[in-house]
Amino acid sequence: MLRRVTGAFVAVVIGVALVAASTLLLASGRARVPDRFAATPIVVAGPEAGTPGIPFPPARPWSSADAAALAARLAALPGVAEAVPDRTFYAQVSGHEETTPEGHAWSSARLGDLKLTAGAPPARPGEVVVGEQIGAAPGTAITLLTASGPQRYIVTGVVDAPLIFVADDVAAELAPGVRAIELRLESGADADRVAAGVRDVVGTGGRVLTGDGRGALEPRADARLRWIGMQVLTGTAALGGFVTVFVVASTFAFTVGQRRRELGLLRAIGATPGQVRRMVLGEALAVGAIGSVAGLLAGAVLAPAVGRILVGARLEPATFEVRFEVWPVLVSLAVGPVVAVLGAWSAARRAARVRPLEALREAAVEQRPMGWARWVLGGVLLAVGIALAIGTAATDEAQNGATFALYGAMALVTGVTVLAPAAVPPIVRLCRLPVRTKGGAVGLLVRESALTAARRTASTAAPVLLTVAFAVLVAGMVRTSTEAYATGRAADADAGWTVVPQDGVPGLSEAVVAAVPGLALLPTTAYVDVGNKVEARSVAGVDRPDLTGDGVVVLAGSGRRVGETFPVVFADGTQVTLRVTAVEPDGSLPVEFLVARDTVRRHDPSALTPAIQLAERVEVPAGTGARVVDVATWAAEADAEEDRLVWVFTLLLIGVSAGYGAIAVANTLLMAAAGRAPDLRVLRLTGATRRQVTGFVLAESSLVVLIGAVLGGAVAFGALLSIRSGLSEQVGAPVALVVPWTVVAGVVGLCLLLAMLAGVATSRRAWVDTNRLIS
Amino acid sequence: MTTQTVVLQDVRAVFGTGTRQVTALDGVSVTFERGRFAAVMGPSGSGKSTLLHCAAGLDRPASGTVSIDGTRLNGLSEDALTRLRRDRIGFVFQAFNLVSALTAEQNVALPLRLAGRRPPAAEVTSALDAVGLAGRAGHRPSELSGGEQQRVAVARALISRPAVIFADEPTGALDSVTSKQVLQLLRALVDEHDLTVVMVTHDSEAADYADRIVTLADGRVVSC
Repeated sequence: MLRRVTGAFVAVVIGVALVAASTLLLASGRARVPDRFAATPIVVAGPEAGTPGIPFPPARPWSSADAAALAARLAALPGVAEAVPDRTFYAQVSGHEETTPEGHAWSSARLGDLKLTAGAPPARPGEVVVGEQIGAAPGTAITLLTASGPQRYIVTGVVDAPLIFVADDVAAELAPGVRAIELRLESGADADRVAAGVRDVVGTGGRVLTGDGRGALEPRADARLRWIGMQVLTGTAALGGFVTVFVVASTFAFTVGQRRRELGLLRAIGATPGQVRRMVLGEALAVGAIGSVAGLLAGAVLAPAVGRILVGARLEPATFEVRFEVWPVLVSLAVGPVVAVLGAWSAARRAARVRPLEALREAAVEQRPMGWARWVLGGVLLAVGIALAIGTAATDEAQNGATFALYGAMALVTGVTVLAPAAVPPIVRLCRLPVRTKGGAVGLLVRESALTAARRTASTAAPVLLTVAFAVLVAGMVRTSTEAYATGRAADADAGWTVVPQDGVPGLSEAVVAAVPGLALLPTTAYVDVGNKVEARSVAGVDRPDLTGDGVVVLAGSGRRVGETFPVVFADGTQVTLRVTAVEPDGSLPVEFLVARDTVRRHDPSALTPAIQLAERVEVPAGTGARVVDVATWAAEADAEEDRLVWVFTLLLIGVSAGYGAIAVANTLLMAAAGRAPDLRVLRLTGATRRQVTGFVLAESSLVVLIGAVLGGAVAFGALLSIRSGLSEQVGAPVALVVPWTVVAGVVGLCLLLAMLAGVATSRRAWVDTNRLIS
Repeated sequence: MTTQTVVLQDVRAVFGTGTRQVTALDGVSVTFERGRFAAVMGPSGSGKSTLLHCAAGLDRPASGTVSIDGTRLNGLSEDALTRLRRDRIGFVFQAFNLVSALTAEQNVALPLRLAGRRPPAAEVTSALDAVGLAGRAGHRPSELSGGEQQRVAVARALISRPAVIFADEPTGALDSVTSKQVLQLLRALVDEHDLTVVMVTHDSEAADYADRIVTLADGRVVSC
């Protein structure tokens, strides 16, 4: 039994390792409590905003006055020593753009128990405390990039954290809106009791965050990265689980096929069909349970390594670290037995249908290759796969597209595998001519044994199918969509120049905007009350003649009319009533509404301009964190970032599926070949030379790889064609299908190599066995 | 208690469909009595194996009735048929009789385990003793000779104290010396334990050990 189920066991171990690593990382991927809140057990945050239009919105801010009033009421509560508004604004040290671009008020450092390692706190405008990693001693001057432009600051002290602090008064000007109020408790105060009191005071006007809940205040950029990382990990876990079910299924289908006589014997001497089924499932359960434990251990070792890769690939924020939680362990332990039983399910059903008479029969005469249930199941899976492939084509979001494509490919691969026995005979007949003329007796043998056992041939080819389909589909999808967007860009990009921020800088400051001509949008977030919920709206400030004072341009979809007024809350926490001056068609604006640029600047001192389009090349002032590129380069770079994320996603998935698939290929071929040993002995005894036996085995393995590659390729190309048609519609231009031939060649070559190795190993064994038999 | 352990009445068995239809048994009626050793003979394709399969409930006849120890097999569910085989019938096949992963002892005890009973060690030992293999209880099939494997199969057939043992060419894969041992064993079981044995063979020497020879040709009984 051990040798028989080795393949399934290895599959479970790898699958559970992947699931364990992914879930451990997922569990670790919770928001981290920012350092400055580490010593404040209770933080009161502004109300959470819903997000129809923009991802990861910050909480709705209080105005300085509202925050001060609330802080005063909180400070009066028993057990609260101090309540200080937390202020966050845009700032980064010039030359150190890799750190989170945020500055804070010194009082946050004080409450956060951050100690100065040298120097004194900032007290006046132009003074700053920075992290030790900057390497600036107290007394030296540095340049801070701020929303208004580069500013000279004198370092008064350094702290042991990569943070930037200015005096509270200065911070209050740079960040007039307050999104959090930090509470320092009196020593000996019970945090839970105080939190209850705080909740009573705050009511629905905010959220009281304690413990890990304070992680909700992490930087937005971190939240976005975390979200992308989660997509990748979920995809990896899903793929790992799927491939495991797949490999276990093919392993068990195999062992059942090879044990028909033994199962028939058991049936003859008194095992009921139910007992046979339970026996197979029990075997699967044991394999799954033991494999789970081994896989969990492997996953626990793997998780930190993968975590580092994700951080390196900027799919997780730099603060990411693996935490060992209980639920991933439980999930991983459960995954093994569940996927093993799922995988063995159909094999167990077939085992139960073995008739007792089969113990008496010699030849491997297979039952009908295709039953009606197989046709129906295969058809349904194909339909689901095609529906998902069309969904892939229809979705706008690259990340969603990749996820859809993945699940679509899973359904298609399973569907085609189920239907594969029907496809084997035509494919075998197609390669009949070359095999016959070249192979003689060997060709005949290969062809006939593949045809008489279409089902066995199909299940040997299944892992090849899986590997080829995933690799080609995923790689082809990415290349084709990259091509499509390039086509789209070429269609609408006119010649010109663009001012963009340097690497690591989130946007262009006013100093840059003032230095160059061109339209400079100033995006920010505004908040509106919808019913009793707060919703975030994307807003941009723009210089436009019809936009002055409280004027606003809205989209037709908002349902508002010219002249209508409505209140919004800006980033500084003040409420402003806007008056609609124009309504524009949906899709014509990059945001939900436009206001005057001055309005945004007045209410959001940290707002930054993402890019400025120019007709002529200009010079930007040095040291402002900006650079000038031509439009084509800029568009390519904008996509490159997206593409880079998608590529990391792609490579991870191809790595998982191809690596895992390769193991499955080797395993299945070895098993299949081991089952052929008696045939090989007969062949040898009837006068085949060693060369002929080896030739037979190699030809058979190659045929299997060919069948798998043809079917897998068919799956991938079918899906790619539907993706292409969807993309063509999206970019409004015909899109060329890019076939990643190098990937195709690499994957097929890998499978072929494995098949050859497995084949040679078996024919050697058969040879040794035969020699023993003769002597 | 009936002395007619196995009764086949007007049994017809047909294989294949349409023009490739083959009638393996063409209205066979035959009775095997308790405590007798019967041999079923006939040339290849005469239907002797099919007769055994139908009699043992391994195959369902197209028409006619089969009963074992008074139980009619027609209409029994697959599970009921399995239980009947487990409790009332022992099998010895030509080859591939044993589960290769299990020891002789475990193979012998298998029918009891399948029935959900804990095999009493004494019964297993005595069954192995009856076939002269008490000393090889812990050996696996690969460590036993062909004749020994067949004798383990006989011991397994004995363990459930069946009404009848069906043997399908039990000596077909053995040399003449070990054949003789296995046949003598079956003979002794009939004589000493009042067992009923139905053996299909094409070997007239093997048939000499039987009390009675049923000869088939073209799916019909020609002598009995």
